[in-house]
Amino acid sequence: MTNFIMPEEGLEHLIKTLCGSYEVFGPVRKGVECSFEKITSAKDLWLDYPTTILPPKKFFTPPRETIFTFKEDKISKIEDMIPEERQILLGVHSCDMASFTFLDRVFLGFRSDPRYLRRRNNFLIFALTCKKVSETCFCQSMGTGPEAPSGYDVLMTDIGGRYLLEASSSGGNALLGSLGFQQATVEDFEAKRGCLESLKGQFKKAVNRSGLVELAYNNQEHPVWKKYGNICVACGQCAMVCPTCFCFDVKDRMDLSLQSGERYREWDVCLLLEFAEVALGGNFRKSRDARLRQFMCHNLSYGVMQYNLMKCVGCGRCIKACPVQIDITEIARELREVSS
Amino acid sequence: MKDPYERDVAEILGVQLETSNTKTFVMKFLDEGRQSNFSFIPGQFIVISIPGVGEAMFSISSSTSNHENFSTTIRNVGRVTGMIHKYNVGDRILVGGPYGSGWPMGQLEGKDIMIVTGGIGLPSPRPVINYINEHRRDFGSLEILYGTRTPAESVFAWEQEAWRKMESTRLALCVDYVPEGVQWEHKVGVVTTLCEEMVTKPRNAVALICGPEVMMHFVVLDLLKRGFHEDQLYLSLERRMRCGIAQCGHCQLGPKFVCKDGPVFRYSEIMGLPDCGI
Repeated sequence: MTNFIMPEEGLEHLIKTLCGSYEVFGPVRKGVECSFEKITSAKDLWLDYPTTILPPKKFFTPPRETIFTFKEDKISKIEDMIPEERQILLGVHSCDMASFTFLDRVFLGFRSDPRYLRRRNNFLIFALTCKKVSETCFCQSMGTGPEAPSGYDVLMTDIGGRYLLEASSSGGNALLGSLGFQQATVEDFEAKRGCLESLKGQFKKAVNRSGLVELAYNNQEHPVWKKYGNICVACGQCAMVCPTCFCFDVKDRMDLSLQSGERYREWDVCLLLEFAEVALGGNFRKSRDARLRQFMCHNLSYGVMQYNLMKCVGCGRCIKACPVQIDITEIARELREVSS
Repeated sequence: MKDPYERDVAEILGVQLETSNTKTFVMKFLDEGRQSNFSFIPGQFIVISIPGVGEAMFSISSSTSNHENFSTTIRNVGRVTGMIHKYNVGDRILVGGPYGSGWPMGQLEGKDIMIVTGGIGLPSPRPVINYINEHRRDFGSLEILYGTRTPAESVFAWEQEAWRKMESTRLALCVDYVPEGVQWEHKVGVVTTLCEEMVTKPRNAVALICGPEVMMHFVVLDLLKRGFHEDQLYLSLERRMRCGIAQCGHCQLGPKFVCKDGPVFRYSEIMGLPDCGI
């Protein structure tokens, strides 16, 4: 694998070249927020963005997608679920890189979901070392940043006026090799290390992961659930913006003619009352305490038991999205420090 | 790669009315290969799907030795089940599965088996009863305790006489109440009432329990009190499910996926898990 150094002015050359053969998505400013959108020029990009509103999971498992359509008795499979063109997702932060590993285990582990697989394989990933640490970030304490975990094709790091581009796959290597940039030097890697060191000193939030899986698992009756269950409004935004929340509902929709329709799946969240509902009015998580506990324990504990991987990647989106300021790092702290 | 969300067409071969709101549907996959490859463990479930209406999960109620067709027993309680109930012989529906773990058949051999079940819980262990009948020498005694709300709500009532005639098998029935004018020669009370007269000794026994959570809760308490160990009790759980392959997330019970790790669990596996009434 070769590593290159790209002057800031080279960014437009990079994007234009990528757009020549790929559909490229990257972080784009939306008011004060940021969103992964299609880009055609370096000018579209916001590379020192904090975090995006929706995580990049939307590219692999979209908020709503058709499973099949039907007309009278005939079922039609969805064959063209992805475009012909290959795609690049550029500017993925380390926390979101870590989320891909988790999602892969969900959708490709026990059984392979062809929709997820085809989308996932259609993307080359350009990871991006964060430029700054946001108020709500805690990836460092989750072991998912600020150094990008593996899984990217190219890693971009702004080392001050120029970018260090590190290839990590044959695809990434070939792409970078065609751009005509100079090879990176030892000094460039030194500069990257300096950037990472400075990031590490900026974190304001942290979760103590030591024994956390057991701590959350063994404290199902801890007062923290009642305390925060009481103020939770069960809006479900935390799970919607969570990069590793994967739950979905499956629904059928009929056309007005009642002749044809579609079966689709749609993101669903465990904070909603209907989530664990069964026939005859049964509901296994009727109380908000129970639903909040499910979300938090899945993130801090059960994920490890299910996939041998912490579900929470420390992106802080749920903290930012919560209308009543429920903070997962605070819950983890109270679980440990407040006696049950 | 086969899409796990794809369903296969099955034709309904027979509809048996079990109670006023419960029917057993006997089905067969149209594709011969799919039908001949369709094998399952007692306690596993399938999904029945009606495009435009939705789909839901049901225990397979037929014998594992039957490779010609399979059946599921469905109570009409909602949108999907209500629509299925309108289907008749010759109609076609979509089916997927089987899914989940089943009853621990390997661990049952040589043991005295107790099946404690309530209402619409019986279809899940019914293939166990049939299996034991077909391999009677491999098992110890069989005791079936079955409770329903009223005498009319008993499913597989037409088969119970045959179960009674099985070698070293005891069937005990109870109902919560007997409507006026109805004859009932068995017990009246909740399912645990039947535990008072059970003959199975815990020493070499395994209990298979399936019914509403509140029933299973009290049955577990009762059996533990009578000397059963937590490892000897198996339960089949109900949860909302949308996929059957641990992806939709709805059936999560603590770290378990009921659709993949269950629906049958050893009691000791799920003891103390949150959001579970057992």
